[in-house]
Amino acid sequence: MSAVVPPMNSAEFAKSPTATELRLEKLDAWCEKWSDRFNPILVKETRQALKSRQFVITFSLLLFAALSWTIVGTFSLMPAIYTSPSAPRMMLGYYFALALPMLLVVPLAAYRSLEGEIDDGTLELLSITSLSPRQIILGKLASAMLQMLLYFVVLFPCISYAYTLRGVDFPTTVALLGMLVLAGVMMTIVALFFATLSQSRTGRVTMLLVVILLLFAAEWLLGLSAFGLIQYGVDRSFGFETALYYFVTPCLLCPPTAYLLFTLAAAQLTPASENRSTKIRVALLLVNASVAAWIGFGIMEQYVGMVLLFVGGAALIVLWTLASSMLVSESAVITPRVQRDLPQSFFARATLGWLAPGPETGLVFAVINMLLLAGVAVLMMYVHDRVVDSVPQLTKQMAIQFVFGCIGYLTFALLLVYGLMRGLRRKNTPRVEVGFAAMVVVAVFAALAPFAVELYANDFMTFPYSQWQATNWVWTLSRIADGKDHWGVIELFGAVGVAGVAMVLYLNPALVRPRRTATPERVIQEMEKAKLEQK
Amino acid sequence: MTFDPSHNPPETESEAHARRSSLSAGAARASESENVPKELHTMVSSGQIVNTLPGEAPAVHLRSDDCIEMRRLHRFFGETKAVEDISFTVQRGHVFGYIGPNGAGKTTSMRILATLDLPSYGDSFIDGLSCVNDPELVRSRLGFMPDSFGTYRDVNCREYLDFFARAYGLSGAERSRRLRWVLGFTGTEGMANKPIRGLSKGMKQRLCLGRALIHDPSVLILDEPAAGLDPRARIDLRRMIRDLACQGKTVLISSHILTELAEMCDSVGIIEQGKLLATGTVDEIQSELVAKNELTIRILERASEAAIMLESLSHVSGVVVDGELLRFEFSGGMQEQAELLTMLVGGGFLVAECMSHRKSLEDVFLQVTEGLVQ
Repeated sequence: MSAVVPPMNSAEFAKSPTATELRLEKLDAWCEKWSDRFNPILVKETRQALKSRQFVITFSLLLFAALSWTIVGTFSLMPAIYTSPSAPRMMLGYYFALALPMLLVVPLAAYRSLEGEIDDGTLELLSITSLSPRQIILGKLASAMLQMLLYFVVLFPCISYAYTLRGVDFPTTVALLGMLVLAGVMMTIVALFFATLSQSRTGRVTMLLVVILLLFAAEWLLGLSAFGLIQYGVDRSFGFETALYYFVTPCLLCPPTAYLLFTLAAAQLTPASENRSTKIRVALLLVNASVAAWIGFGIMEQYVGMVLLFVGGAALIVLWTLASSMLVSESAVITPRVQRDLPQSFFARATLGWLAPGPETGLVFAVINMLLLAGVAVLMMYVHDRVVDSVPQLTKQMAIQFVFGCIGYLTFALLLVYGLMRGLRRKNTPRVEVGFAAMVVVAVFAALAPFAVELYANDFMTFPYSQWQATNWVWTLSRIADGKDHWGVIELFGAVGVAGVAMVLYLNPALVRPRRTATPERVIQEMEKAKLEQK
Repeated sequence: MTFDPSHNPPETESEAHARRSSLSAGAARASESENVPKELHTMVSSGQIVNTLPGEAPAVHLRSDDCIEMRRLHRFFGETKAVEDISFTVQRGHVFGYIGPNGAGKTTSMRILATLDLPSYGDSFIDGLSCVNDPELVRSRLGFMPDSFGTYRDVNCREYLDFFARAYGLSGAERSRRLRWVLGFTGTEGMANKPIRGLSKGMKQRLCLGRALIHDPSVLILDEPAAGLDPRARIDLRRMIRDLACQGKTVLISSHILTELAEMCDSVGIIEQGKLLATGTVDEIQSELVAKNELTIRILERASEAAIMLESLSHVSGVVVDGELLRFEFSGGMQEQAELLTMLVGGGFLVAECMSHRKSLEDVFLQVTEGLVQ
């Protein structure tokens, strides 16, 4: 039996897809298939961004600014543009046109996007999907980077045009654009980190102001650097070695800092029942290692010398004061779920136990890291002394006493914070940030209390330093910086620190003998099933 | 008051709770779960959880017909006891109505079940998997629709559902199939390419139900889905929920519209001030709570004589004669009611009509709760 195909009427003919439509459908299907490989947040954010008024306005304004500057700048440089190098002025114009969206609009949009998720309750909906907090943050970051790329593409022909005008060489152009992209990405991560910090309305307004302030500061600082770079160029102003150092510095410092901020932001979005601490500790380790490498590189290559030790050391002291006070303020209780994922074998427990969440492991982790850093700092100083330039004996003594004095005082304060937080946790559920507040209180009290008491005892007249001022870390450290010998005080606080940490370990044997927690059979089966389904 | 993980809740409160919850058939299950060894419970001190039995993993609860279980659930916010010792189970394919005044603890307990919050004590289970210890396994089985819409700007309905399908790990043809099904089931096909911000409240609710269904979960938790909907949208929602139950999905739904719940739910739980006051089917709760029914009998002749005869019976009290109608309270069951009617007919009375007035869910709710809001 032959099938009779009825002839198409005009309406059906009009509905049948054309060859172009078919090709577009194929392309659409291909894009759909490929988009499965991307982070869903990236796909959603890109769809949203491309439709948003903010993107359309920014893109149009950038296009308009680039075109306007090309015309206005070129005419303003006439007729010298044919004979003398004219790129610096054109490049400056393009830089400022590109820096505004890259350093201000995109990070702020990323901030608003994540803040909006928290505010509108969509983050809760996302948190019960199979997306992890890290994927959410990464998706937002990737979307911001995609927008940056689009803005960059708009300006690329203009920058190429400026390059042909001579006056800004290729390394300078690459350094300028690299600096801008890196700063844009870093500021986006900073903005995303701040977006996760506050849950209350007042806190959110404060955070927004802080972020705007930081973005403007970055815009201004980078603008100054860009101006210097464009005017004087990479080679002429620094020389190759220094230029290499300025290249190595962001390469060493930016990735671990970005990773730390990224981990912190993801931890803020992670439920309390999960392990939020281990990844932060790993990120802190990376920061430590990279700062040590940066200082080592600087000293070995003889660029900055001892100043770098003090700058890097000061930054690390601030970081560890902040981080360690929060580490010892973590909750001592761990969910069975987290326990299951902790190292189970003896060797793994013995070596990686201090990465497990908990205030006791936090205390040990902080003290070990600070001691390692102190060791590296002292080693660097001796390397500098032997290899680069001799360091005076007094400076050596000052530096060593200062480093170990800081660690002694910090350990002493940490023990007090640990005790305070343990007491607080009996009847409350304080956040880890309270630990930092407790650290500030302890530090202020340790310095002010003996000073006030002795001032009162001396009829409010000036008095010399005595052993009663041992806890007054401000006075002791400033005297060490003045070249006074204070080994007695440092040894005392070192001993107190060691005894305190030993006591904490003794009272909390769980740290040295972590519990083995088996995963229920049903859960193992379900996880295997889920893995198979994913494959 | 601060919860001390080393102690159980005060005995007197537990006893009082047990007494109140024994009103319902579900109380049997509740008391069963109270007998579960304490070691199996997870406990939260200071907002986080510890295992009460060192060195052992908590056993995974598994009972084939129970899809949702709350086991001695507590949630404290400082001094406020948002949820206090709630235990109940919901069978697979059932619709469970969660009823309570504002601030009763419905949303808090639903959020714990949806793995969005942690209990201060106790645990909840979906398909036998702990919401505290295995949230990622629970999430894949769970569709949650909170009381807020949670939508995005500059996104149309299809893109919105597509995004959540991707977020749940669906890809390729499977995602397209689920998308088509959800759009069809929720009746949002015509709106697929319209921006969400232009949708009516009813359509947004449909879309949000679609979002909760996109990954084909076995359990649905719906927090006030009918709030602010017009009658037609409410009827549609009711139909959709019944359809889902017929497909074998277990639904936990909270609502203030009790008549709606009475019609669509297989069982209900009444909660007030964080405590579960009664659970079971509407009929069970009604019969447990309402010891006496009001009966009305129409007798065509000699109604006053019949009234005198009825007053002499032990199950009858407060007989009122209103022309041909006799109204009285009857404390007996169906058997006694049948015997009463047989006796009247045997006595030569012309019984034309007999009506039994049972209390509505609203009446039961008002009787059980005290109108206290935290």
